[in-house]
Amino acid sequence: MTSRQRPPLWRDVRALRVAFQIVFLAVVAATIGYFYTNLLTNLNRLGIGTSFSYLDQSAGFAISGSDFSPSESFLAATLVGVQNTATVAVLGIALATVLGIVVGIARLSSNWLVRRAAAGYVEALRNIPVLVIILFWYLAVFLQLPPIDQAVEWAGALVLSNRGLALPWVERTGGLAVFLGCLAVGVLAAVASWVWRTRRNERTGAPSHRVRWAGIVLLGALLVAFFAGGRPLGLSLPERGELGTEQGLLLSPEYGALLIGLVVYTASHIAEIVRGSILAVPKGQTEAANALALSGFQRLRYVVLPQAFRIMIPPLANQYLNLTKNSSLGVAVAFPEVTRITRIAVGQQAPAPQAIVILMLVYLGFSLAISLVTNLVNWRLRRTGGA
Amino acid sequence: MGGSVRTDAQEPMPGDEAGPPIRHVGLRRWLRENLFSTWYNTALTVVFAAFLGWLLYQLGHFVFVAGRWEIIERNLKLLLVYRFPQEDLWRLWAALFVVAATVGVAAGAAARVRAVEIAEGRARPLARRVGLRRAAPLVLLVAVLLWLAGSVTTTLLAAGVAAVGVGGRYAGTLVPTRRAKWTGLLAFVGLLAAFVVVTGFGGQPWQEWRGFLLTLLLAVGGSVIAFPLGVLLALGRRSSLPAVRAVCVTYIELIRGVPLITVLFMAFLVIGFFMPPGVPTPSLATRALIGIVLFTAAYIAEIVRGGIQAIPKGQFEAAAALGLSVVKTTLLIVLPQALRAVIPALVGQFISLFKDTSLVSIIGLIEILGVGLAATKQSDFVAQGLIFEVLVFVAFVYWVACYTMSRESQRLEQRLGVGER
Amino acid sequence: MGRPRFFARLALPLTFVLLLSGCIGGTEGNQQEGRAGQTGAQAQGNTLQQVKDRGTLNCGVNNAVPGFGSVTAEGEYRGFDIDFCRAVAAAVLDDPEAVEFKPLTAEQRFTALQAGEIDVLIRNTTWTASRDGQEGATFLTTTFYDGQGMMVRADSSYQELEDMDGTTICVLSGTTTELNLASVFRARGIDHQPRTYEDNETLQQAFIQERCDGWTSDKSQLAGVRSNWPDNQGGPEALRILDETFSKEPLGPVVRDGDSQWAQVVDWVVIATIQAEEFGITSENVDQMQDSDNPEIARFLGGEDFDAGLGLPNDFAVKVIEAVGNYGEIYNRNVGPDTTLGLERGMNRLWTEGGLHYAPPYR
Repeated sequence: MTSRQRPPLWRDVRALRVAFQIVFLAVVAATIGYFYTNLLTNLNRLGIGTSFSYLDQSAGFAISGSDFSPSESFLAATLVGVQNTATVAVLGIALATVLGIVVGIARLSSNWLVRRAAAGYVEALRNIPVLVIILFWYLAVFLQLPPIDQAVEWAGALVLSNRGLALPWVERTGGLAVFLGCLAVGVLAAVASWVWRTRRNERTGAPSHRVRWAGIVLLGALLVAFFAGGRPLGLSLPERGELGTEQGLLLSPEYGALLIGLVVYTASHIAEIVRGSILAVPKGQTEAANALALSGFQRLRYVVLPQAFRIMIPPLANQYLNLTKNSSLGVAVAFPEVTRITRIAVGQQAPAPQAIVILMLVYLGFSLAISLVTNLVNWRLRRTGGA
Repeated sequence: MGGSVRTDAQEPMPGDEAGPPIRHVGLRRWLRENLFSTWYNTALTVVFAAFLGWLLYQLGHFVFVAGRWEIIERNLKLLLVYRFPQEDLWRLWAALFVVAATVGVAAGAAARVRAVEIAEGRARPLARRVGLRRAAPLVLLVAVLLWLAGSVTTTLLAAGVAAVGVGGRYAGTLVPTRRAKWTGLLAFVGLLAAFVVVTGFGGQPWQEWRGFLLTLLLAVGGSVIAFPLGVLLALGRRSSLPAVRAVCVTYIELIRGVPLITVLFMAFLVIGFFMPPGVPTPSLATRALIGIVLFTAAYIAEIVRGGIQAIPKGQFEAAAALGLSVVKTTLLIVLPQALRAVIPALVGQFISLFKDTSLVSIIGLIEILGVGLAATKQSDFVAQGLIFEVLVFVAFVYWVACYTMSRESQRLEQRLGVGER
Repeated sequence: MGRPRFFARLALPLTFVLLLSGCIGGTEGNQQEGRAGQTGAQAQGNTLQQVKDRGTLNCGVNNAVPGFGSVTAEGEYRGFDIDFCRAVAAAVLDDPEAVEFKPLTAEQRFTALQAGEIDVLIRNTTWTASRDGQEGATFLTTTFYDGQGMMVRADSSYQELEDMDGTTICVLSGTTTELNLASVFRARGIDHQPRTYEDNETLQQAFIQERCDGWTSDKSQLAGVRSNWPDNQGGPEALRILDETFSKEPLGPVVRDGDSQWAQVVDWVVIATIQAEEFGITSENVDQMQDSDNPEIARFLGGEDFDAGLGLPNDFAVKVIEAVGNYGEIYNRNVGPDTTLGLERGMNRLWTEGGLHYAPPYR
């Protein structure tokens, strides 16, 4: 580099690259700036302003299924929505994964009827908008449950009506500090025993039984914490009242419709991923398993699925993201997740541009969290090669 | 769960139509092998048969006995084209004829090219011919629509469209193989011509389209406009210039991180604020289209990027060795291979967009679902619980369209051999 | 799916998020300046002239409220609010069909008005102080006096709101009704669970299935729902609307702030329909009435070369009445006792009959 003469600036690739990038950034910035200026001008002209101070104002509307009071702020309302979205997303992801794996394996069943039924399930649900599916579950299934005065009760623990499914739930009866402290220690101990068993297994080859070990430690810690903390938690059983259930945990039909709608729709996509991943496991693996005289279940559990999982994870992560994003369709069945709360807020004089920026930030947060978790799992799988 | 698992399937991954050739075995043997091989398989068979029977009965009962389909019958025109003026309906038919003819010719020519390739041993024939069965759901949909319309003229016109399509298919096989390369372009030009027939020369501006017409517009228009944007974004994301890459990645991940409904929400409520003062806000349909294009472009970008990444490194090295410029490498080497590899994924994206257009109804722009829901509020039908009929009908239309497209895309995937690497 | 993607996913949108919060911080300062500049920058123009140049009226309406604004199976807009759109078009453009109907959702309506997408909003919109003040909207003469009511099943024991402690109540979202429900019940200390729906049909299904104990909305809408209640659900007799009206819901046309001429035009079109009923002018006798000996009627119908300076032709009332009839005709045709809604006139009678509609003198 030192002795060679540099070409003139306008023919120097490095200079051109820098110049091009500067121009590119300038154009992008100018475009954003242009629209942003327009936005400011318009907002100010209409007296809406650009401040986010509306978040502190009292919302004025109530939210079903929560203790939210209309005098609380827009910010508090949004947080209730975030919480509701999270409950749908977390449970939905878990259920959709289970159902998707079941259907995906059923698609490869040796039973013709099961195979065709699973294929029919996938083809039927994949090709209908999820919005229609959710509406259908709500109107045709959940609202058709018996009304509250004819609610189905089971063993005093479950109450099922179209006001929702009431389940037993823990309730707080005392201080939680000691309990949580003990529990935290317990969790650490469980993790430590897991690591220890894994290492021992790696070193000696003896069976690790790490699930068993960690489970027992955790359960023990839970019991110790419960009694040491002075039994701070009690069981709350649902009771049927005239207008609804009291106590316990109430899962509303709207929640149910959104959750089940998302689960069956997403599961139809996951099933295809599972099927594809199983088929992508080299045939020799199955043959080797057969040669070792493994049973059908063992072959699946120890040979095929662990390998299929590694292929599955990136597309699964995408489906998890989709499910979370699709939970915004709660609007259709009046489930107060964050999109719906935002819509109500805009209807009640929250400024639209600001409200939408917040909404987008919320979803970005969810997406980032999911990518983070799935990427960590993926990374770990690649590193350890285990499942 | 299905007992043991057929992990030793011979078939290529996608599409279960392409199984091994059917062995002719006795019915009893087939039943024993496939339904009653073990006790738990027998149990599964019984349980599933009972459940499926119940499901089919419920569906049949609703469709043929309980359903009150008058709401669909009377609102059929609204559902499909909404308030499209009666005197301009001929434009839609003309457009259908144009599309049928061009797509028919294109399909015929493509079939011929393929036949030649198979004859020369450059391509493998598909494992199994499905023939007319492919079109069965589509035929069923058209039959249902015609029955609901209950008009002789409509039936004749529909038959005419079908005839032109089939005729075009045969005319297409006469196109010399060398020219058949341009058939894709022909189909695209046909689509464009159809669009011009409906909108141009005093026709109906697309901003006014509603109902199923709007569904089509948003899905097709959205994809067509988003495609070049998506390719540019994908190239930008693969660029060696960090600034370009950063901007593209930010855009793509930002959009992919939020639901379509929030993008639409923004398009509907906020685009007006981005316009300079005095410039009128674009129409509802334009805003929906902007939202959909911005959204879809990010997804297309990711798909195309996947295609670019799948190109063997040797291709780039070869291009560099030939002294091709960056632009030439991109246009002549990278994009042709990348796009060819991702055609099935692009079709998948199109299907997903097609379904997602139903979301604009939440925002007040009435496509087919929105029209259906609004129809339940007409004074003749209000408060009668007819929303089920509407949902079933809309689901049926979507299902036929998406199912047909996904089937065709699977065939395409097999043909391109994408799933067989 | 390697590490680079992982970091890209995390890092870039995160920076964008930070950028956005930067914007938030940066814009805080502009606030006062913006509020101050609000009054000066309203020169958005002359809506009347724009409408005339365009040749059509852009009218923001509802397409899903039977009787007030809905689309028939033949694809025509019908309803009480729709007729007032046509009336304005008849007065300004001499053609009641020169209306571009823009169906809007509850959240969109004010944004659409602010952004100039529509010239006038006639979509059962309640006049409130904060809407008048904050939404950049001007409310005009009320076309329909309504009030919020509560509908329950006839076989239930509820007689007044106080009985409804602990109930679940269905309500449409984005409406004043939703806010009223919250504030009235809170003020009276009645505990309740609200269920807010976006869509009347879904709400109705929920109510049929006894998902909720009460349905609250404007009484006119409740009456419409009740009179249409399906026979297999027991017909109208199965429902009861509580006597109490617990809010005032004056519904009327809305225009943008800062264009007083256009506000006058729309205002006087509405007033003209009321005045016509007072004079006994109907769409059938409007031709004979033009030769009336009564100077007030003659002046109202464009005689005597009287120009009120509203920016409307002298005979605009004739065009309005020919197109849609007087207020009573509009009412009876769309929501009156003989329609499926079957609403009695009640508060919406003329002042001469004990109602609230009172037209300022046309002179």
